[in-house]
Amino acid sequence: MKPATSPRHFLQGLLVTLFWLGVWQAVSMLVAKPVLFASPLDTIRALWVMLPTSAYWSAVLGSLGRIALGFFLALALGLLLGVAAFRFSLLRTLISPLLTMMKTVPVASFIILVLVWFGSSSLAVIVALLIVFPQIYFATLSGLESTDQELLELARVYRVPRRRVAWRLYRPALWPYLTGSCASALGMSWKAGIAAEVIGNPAHSIGEQMYLSKIYMATAELFAWTLTVILLSTVFERTVLWLLRRVGK
Amino acid sequence: MDIQIKDLSHRFGEKSVFEHFDLTLQDGGLYGLTAPSGRGKTTLLRILMGLLSHDAGTISQGVRYSAVFQTDRLLPGRCAVDQLLFVRGSKKDRAEAARFLAGLLPENSLEQSVGELSGGMQRRVAIARALWAESDCLLMDEPFTGLDEATLRQTLDFILAKRQGRTLLLSTHQKELLTDYPFEWLRI
Repeated sequence: MKPATSPRHFLQGLLVTLFWLGVWQAVSMLVAKPVLFASPLDTIRALWVMLPTSAYWSAVLGSLGRIALGFFLALALGLLLGVAAFRFSLLRTLISPLLTMMKTVPVASFIILVLVWFGSSSLAVIVALLIVFPQIYFATLSGLESTDQELLELARVYRVPRRRVAWRLYRPALWPYLTGSCASALGMSWKAGIAAEVIGNPAHSIGEQMYLSKIYMATAELFAWTLTVILLSTVFERTVLWLLRRVGK
Repeated sequence: MDIQIKDLSHRFGEKSVFEHFDLTLQDGGLYGLTAPSGRGKTTLLRILMGLLSHDAGTISQGVRYSAVFQTDRLLPGRCAVDQLLFVRGSKKDRAEAARFLAGLLPENSLEQSVGELSGGMQRRVAIARALWAESDCLLMDEPFTGLDEATLRQTLDFILAKRQGRTLLLSTHQKELLTDYPFEWLRI
């Protein structure tokens, strides 16, 4: 397999990016109303103006902090409860309806309920947590259940210490499920977290800035904030997945 | 310690595999187990290891077993040395484990992932692992599957040299190849 950073791969990526930038530019020219659809150039210009301001970085760091905190809390809680539910079937039966409900409740319902109960400051943390937690929990259960039974029998016969069984047998079985689940949950946590911020308007948040852009019909700024979220989400996702893969090796 | 099986009965549904079966394995004994397929060789070994509960009878407790199963049961993606260290020892025992394995495998294969080894080499890793582990009794279920006659003899010599007085119970379909070894043959 060719490495992902090969010149050919890089060129392919560049061409795909240029193609979609071209599509974006063409659509903006077709619409021809910057207040409805900002062009790539308008967006970059708006971002360039925002970049040196403290309001930009305060919003970026605020949202990143809240969403990352929600994600990591969900990861820890999902792993912990997943392992406990795998070990104790009574716990699994007990929390199963709650988790199934959490998986199906619309994100908007969560956002409104959390806003009513806890206010807007911790909204993105709790919403990201509620969205990610069931995914991590179910992935943990599935991963642990996929552990090779023949190897577990072998470990039992050879009286292999529990810690070694956990590290050598359960962890390699769990990790593909966990990284796969995290890959989708990371994107979801940003989508839900930013949506929550737009509705709840907490101070120092991207959601608040997006809301203000909407109020002032500053479409280029709205696009610039969206671009910021895409970049943040991508960098965050790649960093977390890289960390997980390193631990899983 | 001797291993005693007394009045063992076991059924799979309607099919009776053992009925009032008795067997004594003397400490340090060398036993070969032979029977037509489906007569319960693997079942007997699994009952001894505690992996299968039996319907009636008593079996000596407190025996530490190490086993070669019908399938190799190797940790995927790990090398031969890691397979040994999984059942006994730690990083500091790596060199000793490699020396142990070198008696049965080419030295340049010891750090290769087991997935890259041939079927016969994987089998020998599984056998070496059983001998490396601390145990009172070695149970080997068709250990020579996939080995040619010369490798079989080399492997059996290694087993006998490394069993260190431990009881060995070995099930096989290849009894005719083992006639010049001092096995006591059991039939079930």
